[in-house]
Amino acid sequence: MSAILQAQGVGVRLGGVPIVNGADLSLRTGELTAMVGPNGAGKTTLIRALAGLLPFEGRIAINGRALAEISARERARRIAYLPQGNVFHWPLSVADVVALGRTPHADPFSGITADDRAAVVRALTITETETFATRPVTTLSGGERARVALARALATQAAVLLADEPTVSLDPRHQLVVMQLLRDAARAGGAVLAVVHDLALAARFADRVLVMDKGRIVADAPPGEALTAERIAAVFGVEVIPVDVGGATVPVASRAI
Amino acid sequence: MLSSCRSDLRLVLALAALVLVLAVISLMSGPASITPRQALSGLFDGQGAEGIIVRDIRLPRTLLAILIGATFGLSGAALQGLLRNPLAEPALFGAPQAASVGASFMIAYGFAGATSFAVPLAGIAGALVSVGGLVAIAGRRASLTVTLLAGLAFASFAGAGTALILNLAPTPYAALEVAFWLLGSLEDRSVDHLLIAAPFLLASWILLALNARAYRALTLGEDAAASLGVDLNRTRMMVVVGTALGVGAAVAVAGSIGFIGLVAPHLVRRWVGSDPARVCLPTALMGAALLTAADIAVRLIPANPNATAIELKLGVVTALIGVPFFLAMIFRERRLLEGSPQ
Repeated sequence: MSAILQAQGVGVRLGGVPIVNGADLSLRTGELTAMVGPNGAGKTTLIRALAGLLPFEGRIAINGRALAEISARERARRIAYLPQGNVFHWPLSVADVVALGRTPHADPFSGITADDRAAVVRALTITETETFATRPVTTLSGGERARVALARALATQAAVLLADEPTVSLDPRHQLVVMQLLRDAARAGGAVLAVVHDLALAARFADRVLVMDKGRIVADAPPGEALTAERIAAVFGVEVIPVDVGGATVPVASRAI
Repeated sequence: MLSSCRSDLRLVLALAALVLVLAVISLMSGPASITPRQALSGLFDGQGAEGIIVRDIRLPRTLLAILIGATFGLSGAALQGLLRNPLAEPALFGAPQAASVGASFMIAYGFAGATSFAVPLAGIAGALVSVGGLVAIAGRRASLTVTLLAGLAFASFAGAGTALILNLAPTPYAALEVAFWLLGSLEDRSVDHLLIAAPFLLASWILLALNARAYRALTLGEDAAASLGVDLNRTRMMVVVGTALGVGAAVAVAGSIGFIGLVAPHLVRRWVGSDPARVCLPTALMGAALLTAADIAVRLIPANPNATAIELKLGVVTALIGVPFFLAMIFRERRLLEGSPQ
């Protein structure tokens, strides 16, 4: 599996305060990478820098080319970004929202192409949102909105998908559905990075886990190696009990230290 | 998606036809009554008294109503798209009021004749300060409360500025001239007024319309829009400059006219839905129709002939219709407004 997005020595300052320091990571095609870390560890800041939305020190490259060298449009075609919160300001139809994912491919002189249409239909189908494709997005439930937001990001058909807390505020069933969709997107040939708060979900679904603490990446390994009881205790300040779920050992927080 | 394009086209054609019909009625309306046939023959051959009345008096007025109405409509749609907010409108942000400060200074102190470029340039400068300041203060989250409070502050400050100019006006005549001009009117506007305003208005349309796709992407918030390749700084700059050019030039020739930018997009949404990009073109046409209709109304409603002003003022009529409409919108959306954390 080849690395498609690489970050070396990435640092980000917000208002002069260093939030992320010396982050090295690479995202590989076919892999779902989970990023975990306590609140304020710098996860959102790092993922926004990777998406090209924040100025940073160091180097971020996609397909070997530095982000700074490529146009915003080209970057948008290669990196899809799903921000926190699934915001929809206007009551557009679900299909229109998902079609927004095609914005980076749009040409000012041509309308919607067959490729665009196919990508939108595919994104609606795999996220099982096609049944309410004509409904205004603002009338949907939280779980439905999360899937529509994900469908919008998938419709871009970018090589890299960066998702910031895609499972937050979802019920257990929808958390599993969304994690499975992210893993499917990786298996279908994407490189996926998702910020996840639930350590058990990260351990179960991710191929690799990045642990962030105080602005640094302190572990980058398969779940079993990254999420050891010692590391979780040191980073999150909780004791965990290992629980066997469908053949995978996942950590479940039991007590604050 | 294709069917929606066809229904948009139908709406655009229907609104264009409405603007055309209103334009003909506008050419007929005034102290001298003219039949539709006389109006059209006067327009095309320019012969006789009808020719002079239609071509020199009513045509510039009608064209200005169409251009200015379209400008206010489009700037409302653009500001709503940029700030993701159906209550955004240039007048609520103090833009026409700020443009009035610049323009009335020029008029009161006699720096410029009514048909000099100095008045629109001063108006544009005023509008630029208010819209630019507002967008800068609204910032990344563009919260409704912050936006409206900042708009209120700009409008009040501009109101104080205009009052100061009236207060310190060199002669009572200058003060009276400015006071009447502030109420907004298209009465007695000439081809010269049309020619000084039109270039700025057209430039504003281009700047605002070029960003239609960005307004649609902004539905997802600023971060997601940026990740889709939208250059937010460029979009913001173009909307600020576009609105200022349009509002500044419009206020310079027609005085303060508000609420077209609030009412027009709202009326259009019931047919084209909420997509902030699809709203743009029909909103411009709707704005043109609304202002032309209002300008016909001020000529038809009898005003006191003994008063200084023979016609009702256009800005008065748009505010009398627009403000209750705005209150009704707030009333309808109040649950949403109260519930919204922004």
